[in-house]
Amino acid sequence: MNRDVCAEFLRFTGFEESEIPGFLPDFIEACRALNLSEADVRFSVETWIPSQFDTELEGVRRGLGCIVREAVDLTRTPRYKKQGVKLVYGILPAMSVYYYALKRTAPDRVYVAFPDLFLVAFLQMFFHRLNPTLEIAEAAGMSYGCRHCALNKARFTARRLGIIPSPDISWIWGFVCDEGPKTDEFIQECFDSDWRNYSTRLPHDQPLGTQEDEVDERVEYLALQMRDGFEQVQRVVGISVPEEKIAEAFEIRQRFVEKMGELRDLLTVDPPPLGGVEAFILGMPRDMPFNTGLEPMAEALEQTLKDVRGRVAAGRGVLPRQAPVLMYEIIPYCQPWLVKMFMENGVGVMPGGPTQKQLQPPRFEDPYMVAAEAWLKGSVTVNAGYKADQICERLLRYKFDGLLLGFLDFDRWLGSDNRLIARMVEERTGLPVFYVEGDFWEDRDYSPESLRTRVESICEILKMRKAG
Amino acid sequence: MTAKAAKSMEVIQGRVKTFPERVRREKRGGRKIVGMTGRFVPEELVRASGAIPYLLCRGGDPEPVEASLPYMHRFLNPFVRAQLGYHLLGMDPVVPMLDLIVAQCDDCHASRLADLMEYLRLPAFRIGIPPDWQKELSVRYYAKGLARLKGRLEELTGRRVTEAGLRASIESLNRVRTVLQEIGDLRKKENPPIGGLDFLRLNHASFYEEPDLFAAEAASLLEALEEGPGLFAPDAPRVLLAGRVVAVGDYAVPRLIEESGGVIVAEVLDEGVRHCAWKVDEGGDPMDALVETYFLRRLPPSIFQPSWGIRVRHLKESVLGNRVDGIVWYQLAFDEVYDMEYAAVARAMSEMQVPILKVESSYEYARESTGPLATRLESFVESLRAKRRVGP
Repeated sequence: MNRDVCAEFLRFTGFEESEIPGFLPDFIEACRALNLSEADVRFSVETWIPSQFDTELEGVRRGLGCIVREAVDLTRTPRYKKQGVKLVYGILPAMSVYYYALKRTAPDRVYVAFPDLFLVAFLQMFFHRLNPTLEIAEAAGMSYGCRHCALNKARFTARRLGIIPSPDISWIWGFVCDEGPKTDEFIQECFDSDWRNYSTRLPHDQPLGTQEDEVDERVEYLALQMRDGFEQVQRVVGISVPEEKIAEAFEIRQRFVEKMGELRDLLTVDPPPLGGVEAFILGMPRDMPFNTGLEPMAEALEQTLKDVRGRVAAGRGVLPRQAPVLMYEIIPYCQPWLVKMFMENGVGVMPGGPTQKQLQPPRFEDPYMVAAEAWLKGSVTVNAGYKADQICERLLRYKFDGLLLGFLDFDRWLGSDNRLIARMVEERTGLPVFYVEGDFWEDRDYSPESLRTRVESICEILKMRKAG
Repeated sequence: MTAKAAKSMEVIQGRVKTFPERVRREKRGGRKIVGMTGRFVPEELVRASGAIPYLLCRGGDPEPVEASLPYMHRFLNPFVRAQLGYHLLGMDPVVPMLDLIVAQCDDCHASRLADLMEYLRLPAFRIGIPPDWQKELSVRYYAKGLARLKGRLEELTGRRVTEAGLRASIESLNRVRTVLQEIGDLRKKENPPIGGLDFLRLNHASFYEEPDLFAAEAASLLEALEEGPGLFAPDAPRVLLAGRVVAVGDYAVPRLIEESGGVIVAEVLDEGVRHCAWKVDEGGDPMDALVETYFLRRLPPSIFQPSWGIRVRHLKESVLGNRVDGIVWYQLAFDEVYDMEYAAVARAMSEMQVPILKVESSYEYARESTGPLATRLESFVESLRAKRRVGP
């Protein structure tokens, strides 16, 4: 592996010149563990990253670097295990505060992460090289034709290839999908009987439109489920987390959400000073724990705010003035080309950002109730009717020109309501809603070329509408 | 099949055909009609409230699956999509008459169906089924759900569900389970007097009949079958059919298995059949008994966690107890949990040296799809027959 190319990669992803020599050996080792060749790194540095991300901004580069650090850290887990560090895995989507609370209580004794997420993000975002990982899981029984989630397949492969060891506990969340938790059972039954897991579930039984965070019985049940799961984790790893650590982690998360809100507000400036992918990436630690902590990304976010304000002051943007902008709730950051394709056609795609309710202080004091209430305010994790309400709120607040849905075809929960939501949002706002079938994580079935015509048509329609 | 048995089957199946008309009459007379989805809504409770239950469990046709597309994405399983599709196409005469639809929300597919029922202004009532079933927290959740359902049914029918009434309903449905189990067990004979296709249809029929009437007619059928001859070739391979569901009307796969010369001697299906081996306790508090049987005692469905270890053990026992030669794993397209479970089951069966064939369906049974399916099933049955001849 050519060290200069690797060093260049690290520079591109926001590493300080002084830290590169120290980090380089681990990075090279991580590439080896993940079957990335020198050609892959070269392609990333010379072609992929410059064409996909707004690396002119220091904040964005540093944000990308946070993901690189996590992915490299992931490949150190076999070493951590030998050293006696307790490994706690989880899956997306989950309430990250518990993992951060654990980490804040015993920083050196525990490793926390969602391994599949960083594996997928690293391989696909930076190298466009996820497919071989998925094929290994497909050969083992997560068949291609069934359209399983790439994250779950990556989790299986990560273990199958020995990239990660068995955890002390995988605390798996089934608040959204079924396949996530069942994948842990799959790993345990079919490959690694030491893959200890504990699932925390919440039935999808709220009538459409229920504001779930206001149903005390539901908040209480969820809080009990979270407490039950977290107590199990603490028992297994032998680390007792004081409740004030959960509260502390929640407050940090909340401050981070407020900062994200600031960035979201800046994106409404005409012309928009930053693309949707970059804005979304900077918000990642809100919902997924970083073993290296939330703080480095918070700093990257702070830097981005500074960079973006500079662009606003200079009247510079990433789109022409008066360009139509679509809201997309969860920007497919592993397929950055999608948003770029819209931008090339003069249309922005931006995240919705936090809802008004998400920025309000909690109604409860008990940290589990606080976390449960926050979860049930989530704009993607609740019933479709409430979800549609929250989408409408931001569509109108930020004066979006329409809504983009799709790219979650593998997800029997997040993806399966898209057509219904499209109807509800159109009925309520009169704005156009576009549904594009696709995959958030991988692009074997939905390549740029297969979608280009559709994207171009959507952009033409939007521009015509905007022109009146 | 003897003439007496054939007559009994005809009577039972004939009653199924008249179900919509009977429901219409009852509705005119003021009775409430309550739809149900899935396996966790106790029919006992609906009947004890005086309402007529209607299980939404149809499948096997491609058009209803397609009809759901404007509301659902295409990667939900065809069974769930069909439940909505029959209604959208006006092919389900009962749904428009329903006063309530109790929709179980156990997995993403079923929960989305509940969403769409609400969106289409059907009178849905959700009941949440926590898949992390071994926690006390989850058991209480389900129990609470049943208590809410009881209240809703009482409100709807204006009739209190008394302990005595519920117990009577439990006893009545246990009689149905007992007689069905006895009929099913006839397939343990070397040459069974009834095959899996007829047994599945019988199971389905039991959902659309008053339990006491069904139990009486099924008892006559049992008697006739006990006296009757075996219906299959002496060397017919014994097949176990496993998967999520064989819906009412989705008979292509079981029919092809038996037309190919095999006999289905056992089923391990999560929905669409009565789980007759698990009767509801007739003593004690009947609501507790429902929770105990429906949620905890039966074989956990694939979505429950943990479940696959338990299910594989159960399958192994079924294979041995029914002298099964091979398994047909009948999977619905895009049913992600069953797709993964298959790998665990296939591994266990390979260790037991029991052949297993995975068949996936999107309810596309046009001639061009059925041909290759028939060839696969015929080859599988033939290979089982050859294995029988050679011996283990």
